Amino acid sequence: MIPNRSTLLLADDDPTIADSLAPFLERAGFHVLVVSDGVSALEKAQAHHPELIILDVLMPRMDGRETLRRLRKAKIWTPTILLTQVGEASERALALEEGADDYLNKPFDPHELLARIRAVLRRARPGERSLSAAWLLTANDLALDRRARRATLSGKTVELTPKALAVLEYLMTHPDEAVTRERLLEAVWGWEYPAGTRTVDTRMAELRRALDDDPADPHFIETIPGEGYRFIAPVHGEG
Amino acid sequence: MFKKSWVNLLLLFLPLVGGIVAFVLITIFLLSLPPFMLTADFGFVGFVFGLTIRNLGAIALMLGLFVTGVLLILYNRSLRRQERMQMLLEKAELEAEQGRRRFLRRLDHEIKNPLTGLRAALVNMEEAQASTDRQRAVENASHAVERLTRLLTDLRKLSDLGERPIELWQVDVPDLLQDVVDAAHVLPAYKGREVSLLIPKVPSPFPTITGDRDLLVLAVYNLVENALKFTCDTDSVEIRLGEDGRAILIEVADSGVGIPAEDVSKIFEELYRGSNARSTDGSGLGLALVYRIIASHNGHIYVRSSQEEPRGTVFTVRLPVSQKKVTLLPSS
Repeated sequence: MIPNRSTLLLADDDPTIADSLAPFLERAGFHVLVVSDGVSALEKAQAHHPELIILDVLMPRMDGRETLRRLRKAKIWTPTILLTQVGEASERALALEEGADDYLNKPFDPHELLARIRAVLRRARPGERSLSAAWLLTANDLALDRRARRATLSGKTVELTPKALAVLEYLMTHPDEAVTRERLLEAVWGWEYPAGTRTVDTRMAELRRALDDDPADPHFIETIPGEGYRFIAPVHGEG
Repeated sequence: MFKKSWVNLLLLFLPLVGGIVAFVLITIFLLSLPPFMLTADFGFVGFVFGLTIRNLGAIALMLGLFVTGVLLILYNRSLRRQERMQMLLEKAELEAEQGRRRFLRRLDHEIKNPLTGLRAALVNMEEAQASTDRQRAVENASHAVERLTRLLTDLRKLSDLGERPIELWQVDVPDLLQDVVDAAHVLPAYKGREVSLLIPKVPSPFPTITGDRDLLVLAVYNLVENALKFTCDTDSVEIRLGEDGRAILIEVADSGVGIPAEDVSKIFEELYRGSNARSTDGSGLGLALVYRIIASHNGHIYVRSSQEEPRGTVFTVRLPVSQKKVTLLPSS
């Protein structure tokens, strides 16, 4: 093993995926451990302490969600990317309990996975619980209660549509990260389509109006021209 | 109500059996007593009373017969209704099964084409010597992957539509249509084309509808994309808005080749491809998605098409106007 290379644990029972992704990630500069079921992933995670875990959901012996739950129960806060989609409110609550750091739905472009791995590693605080597992997120005078699905600004409830709230949640759990419109569509709306980028802008306008955030001089959400958005205020997680 | 046959029979004949028992008891016990013959007056009263009691037995028997008859008629009706329901259920199950098989057959077809292309491209990548041939193989493989990805994405959209509740907000339709036209600009088929958006000035403001704006944008966008796909540079595409007080009407019209008459009734089916759509790109789920979205908004969609002059196709979407005040979704 080459020193200073981040170790990734990749758990996927489909050999064509694991065999193709592992060399790709190795070429990108990571050391990759490959397992094909949840039980092996749990054992490897405890034995090798990888910097990041990529878990498929449907796997033999133990599925990805259960593996992640057991890791978190054992207070192992290794950043984890779950290879599935988070769509509806019930799934969001489930995702919150699992505490995955990010989600990526199959089929995906390997470059997208790489970008996600790098972003998760960049914001990871070793040994600490990640923001994605926190019930309450705060940034200056803005608070987001993820369980009650309610946002408050200086103690006052902010009226938001469910989609705008989900956008805020995604941005707050990915602070200081350039989030593309396509990524927001995939994560919040669940699918991507050409008319969608405008849809994101509509919700962003709603969010900014509700948060009284001036796009020219933002306190919370910054526009990155030609790229997307970034949540610029420092975020703290509780619970 | 009528689950077990022996219970049913018992219940049905209970009034009759009760009537017979009452008749027999009254006949044996009451009429064998001569208690009312003490005086002439009492005798007469007793005689009438005795007759009445005897008749009571007969009345009980008649009532038993009548109630049993009514119950028998009701039971028969219930049986017939159950049979009818069973037949309808079986018919629906048969249709669902046929639909499922048809869907799988079409899915098989939609998957095998890009997959065959992908396999051929991989062989070319392995065997081709010239870098240009290899590059072309890579492009073909990417194209096949794109087709499969699009198919999967649209399948997921369809499944999501059936599962997730739609968000209900007041939607400004002219604003929505403008968004669709702006978004369609990036389509390759849009290049050099003119898409006219006709929005009436009266009534003003235009009536709003209650619905999920994102889904409605997707529905109209799919119709516009479809119109662009089946027309050429010299054709016209129009998006027209209208209202009749109760509903708003969105029409997406084109002067393209038109849909063959035998395909018109099937174009909203999942993965159905009309005879003139087989060689065009697309998942075969676009119009099925439109149909589902409009239906989930309590709306209707109609199509009329002609391949003879004046040829063209018009899709008409009818959506009920907002009945109650809900918050207006902020526009961009």
